[in-house]
Amino acid sequence: MRGKLAVAAGCGALLLGTSLLFSGCGDSGKTSDGKTRIEMVQYKPEAVKAFEALEQKFNETHDDIELTIESPNEAMTILKTRFIKEDQPDIIGIGGDINYSNFLDSDMLQDISDFDGLADIKQAYLDIAKNLEFIPEEGTYAVPYVANAAGVLYNREMFEENGWEIPTTWTEFIELLDTIQASGQRPLYFGFKDTWTCLAPWNAMAVDLAPPDVCQQVNRGETTFTEQYREVAEKILQLLPYAQEDPYAYSYNDACTAFARGESAMYCIGSYAVPQILSVNPEMDIDSFVFPASDNAEDNVLNSGIDLLFSVMEDCENKEAAYEVLRFLLEDENIQIYLDDQNAVPCKEGDFTLPSMLDGVKSYVEEGKMLDYHDHYYPTEMAVDAMIQTFLMDGDVDAYLEKFDTDWVRYNRDLIRKVQEYQEENPGAAEGGNES
Amino acid sequence: MMDKAKGNERKRTFMLITIPILILFFLFNTLPLLKGFYYSFTNFKGYGSYDFVGLRNFIDLFQDARVGRSYIFTFKFALVSTVIVNVISLILALGLNSKIRAKSALRGIYFIPNILGGLVVGYIFSFIFTYILPTVGQKLGIGFLSSSMLASTKAAWFAIVIVASWQSIAMNTIIYISGLQTVPEDVYEAGSIDGATGWTKFKSLTFPLIIPFFTINMVLCMKNFLMVFDQIMALTKGGPAQSTESISYLIYRNGMDGGQFGFQSANAVLFFVVIVVISVAQLSFMNKKEEQL
Amino acid sequence: MKKKSQGVGGTNWPVTILLILGCLTVFFPLYMAVIIAFKQPSEMTNDIAGALSFPSTWSFSNFAEAMRVTDFWNSLGNSLLITVAAVILSLIIHSLAGYAIGRNMGNSRFYKFSYLYIVSGMFVPFAILMMPLVKQTSQMGIGNWVGVIILYVVFYMPMNLLLYSGYLKNIPLALEEAAKVDGASTWRTYWSIIFPVMKPMHATVAVLTALGTWNDVMTPLVIMSGTGKNTLPLAQLNFQTQFGTNYNLAFASYLLALIPILIFYLVCQKQILNGVVNGAVK
Repeated sequence: MRGKLAVAAGCGALLLGTSLLFSGCGDSGKTSDGKTRIEMVQYKPEAVKAFEALEQKFNETHDDIELTIESPNEAMTILKTRFIKEDQPDIIGIGGDINYSNFLDSDMLQDISDFDGLADIKQAYLDIAKNLEFIPEEGTYAVPYVANAAGVLYNREMFEENGWEIPTTWTEFIELLDTIQASGQRPLYFGFKDTWTCLAPWNAMAVDLAPPDVCQQVNRGETTFTEQYREVAEKILQLLPYAQEDPYAYSYNDACTAFARGESAMYCIGSYAVPQILSVNPEMDIDSFVFPASDNAEDNVLNSGIDLLFSVMEDCENKEAAYEVLRFLLEDENIQIYLDDQNAVPCKEGDFTLPSMLDGVKSYVEEGKMLDYHDHYYPTEMAVDAMIQTFLMDGDVDAYLEKFDTDWVRYNRDLIRKVQEYQEENPGAAEGGNES
Repeated sequence: MMDKAKGNERKRTFMLITIPILILFFLFNTLPLLKGFYYSFTNFKGYGSYDFVGLRNFIDLFQDARVGRSYIFTFKFALVSTVIVNVISLILALGLNSKIRAKSALRGIYFIPNILGGLVVGYIFSFIFTYILPTVGQKLGIGFLSSSMLASTKAAWFAIVIVASWQSIAMNTIIYISGLQTVPEDVYEAGSIDGATGWTKFKSLTFPLIIPFFTINMVLCMKNFLMVFDQIMALTKGGPAQSTESISYLIYRNGMDGGQFGFQSANAVLFFVVIVVISVAQLSFMNKKEEQL
Repeated sequence: MKKKSQGVGGTNWPVTILLILGCLTVFFPLYMAVIIAFKQPSEMTNDIAGALSFPSTWSFSNFAEAMRVTDFWNSLGNSLLITVAAVILSLIIHSLAGYAIGRNMGNSRFYKFSYLYIVSGMFVPFAILMMPLVKQTSQMGIGNWVGVIILYVVFYMPMNLLLYSGYLKNIPLALEEAAKVDGASTWRTYWSIIFPVMKPMHATVAVLTALGTWNDVMTPLVIMSGTGKNTLPLAQLNFQTQFGTNYNLAFASYLLALIPILIFYLVCQKQILNGVVNGAVK
């Protein structure tokens, strides 16, 4: 009997008693030697080396602030769980996508419009960040840091050998596809088994053909996707005959490998795929061009979105120290450290060395002729990528567009209600929310 | 039989064991489940502020074609996989339990599929389905093999059945093997004297004795296959054309990655109720069977 | 006894050969995994002959690099700590639960209810528990490896209760009654007679629980986030980023992580075989 109690008590102590031993130690925002502690979590684990270098450099040059930068795997899950634990970092580095919109909408970010560093950020990217707000907010909540671009990657060597020209209109593009196919080579390769890759050509074409704020317009009840996306849908279907058979069997990784091995001349994907392609074929000479979905060359714009932006969290107590960190990160030489490591496009004005695979789109970056990925406004759970894949498989434009419209209303119900309430309260503000 | 004092002591001991365990289970399983149940009446995104939406999530559930498809897929998948896995692992267990050479090595090898991580299984089987099987199919002129099963909305579910079975056979085999250890040798010897061989021996002697393990395996198969997630993540991510989205996959994808935590909590509650109803029915059926024998 | 009956038939060669042939279904994928683990990213191709060919050099550099990237010994230590603790606690707590509940569910509504209550917990999708558990463990101050171990003990309770109580059905009551006649308490009887008799099931439970905890990503990911501690599967996420996966390093790392659990299984499966139930009971 005594033994039984002892074991039962032992088990209980093991399981529940441990909680006392490991009760969390409060983070007061100060280190033991009086420095202000700033914790940053950024979501790109592949950039961990660049951020480790930056963290070290910052701490060597600052006596009053101790910066820690974490680059965890599955950072979005980690961030969400840390929010639940009410253990927010001071600064987060995330992508300019719907997660940012949601965090902002949940009142988790601080207004940083008094941050002096914002003045040097390209207006195009500030606009893109502004457009991510579901409901136009007062103030600024993000410092766009670097961007990526999507369009068409091409094998420069193959193009030079065959004397192929870079197309600037849809007609030229189709002609190029025909020429390549006639030469017995494969023009395109798709990795549609990974549904998200369906979004790459879709976004790149949508920025040329549909209004940039189409989602906001629909939320305000001014238009429908059936109206705005019809041309995009019809044109994306025309690409299929130029790619390998059964593209739904091949993954993103297969497509990167195939393109790297010269099995296709072009690959409709973003600059973010370049490292994976180069890992297979380090010698490859890759360049890119803007997707020419419109027959009016002037309408074709670069599809570029914010790959990494910084926001200060609501719980951050030392805003000035956080600003100091942001100022440091925005110094030209520090941006260059990141660019060299990650082949990215800087969001700051200035003279930076761009990676060579962006040669073909450089002029668009310099002129600011850029528009954000449309899928940054699509709710993840609506699974537009899978809808596009389904549509590409059955080819039914009408059914797809109709589903897009009905699903949009269903998945954005709460948002649409909020937007329309906002409309009623601010009758003149319809156009105000979107400068572009 | 036991006297009264002994009986009381026995009862008390059992209570003292059971109560703390029930409390522990309640704390870390039921309590969070109740919270999830609470969220199923909200539009909670998983973080930030939220509103109550009443029964809207549950009403939506029954009108959502994607949810409906995921239920059909999941049950079809679970049923077929359960049959395949139980048949093969029972045969395998009998084989591995018979008088064979290299017993340990063989048992070890058949266990490996169960340990390989999702990334490895996903990459290798994708390669087999995308490149190797179609080539074999074309060479041999087998129509349905000549294109990737994973890219076909009709065949992709079966590709997942194959991989999931390949991985879970090991586990069910272990359970059958440990069940076979409880079959006394003399039963066999008596059977041999009676002239029972092969199928007759299995049907009339071995199987009735390992029925409890058959029950366990049925329940575990239900759990593993109705809640299938890893193989879908590794092989198709729900594609092509959302034809292989399982219920767990949908709950995870849209509840965690997407902002549908509230809605998917409602889905999880519904799913839980459905499975509990099925398994209680199954368990009481099996228990009756066992008692009859 | 076992040895004696072995003499009756001798080796069953047809079954042996069939089983060896069946191994091919395991060897072929395993072969692919091994050669990929030895290749360089630049050797990856989409054609079958290329994919199945040997790497250009058999160098262990991928394994060394994978160990460096995952901080192997530290992560391995954390994984071992969590798995071993979860398995030991499971063996103690779950076998007790299986005994108490399994022996009484036939004649008591309370135990029947307890059985169904716990076993049905098997069907709660982790995704719905995740967010509330993150909050709960953090509030209790166990948002760390301790919490992860406790959660495993709870998560595997339904399955293990099912296993233990199922196994006990084949262990006759007569076995304990003999001890009781000698005046031993139920508690003593359990540890001296029932617990040892369940050895094959302990081994099975240990294997299944260890396997589940060893490979699990989600629980440590969400519960231990922000503590700076990694388990092996968490560290292995390093090889996958949003837009690129280094399969070669990843496979090398997965093969390394496979070894400890395979050894553990081989040790346990001997226990499954050497069960004392045979002959001793009936």
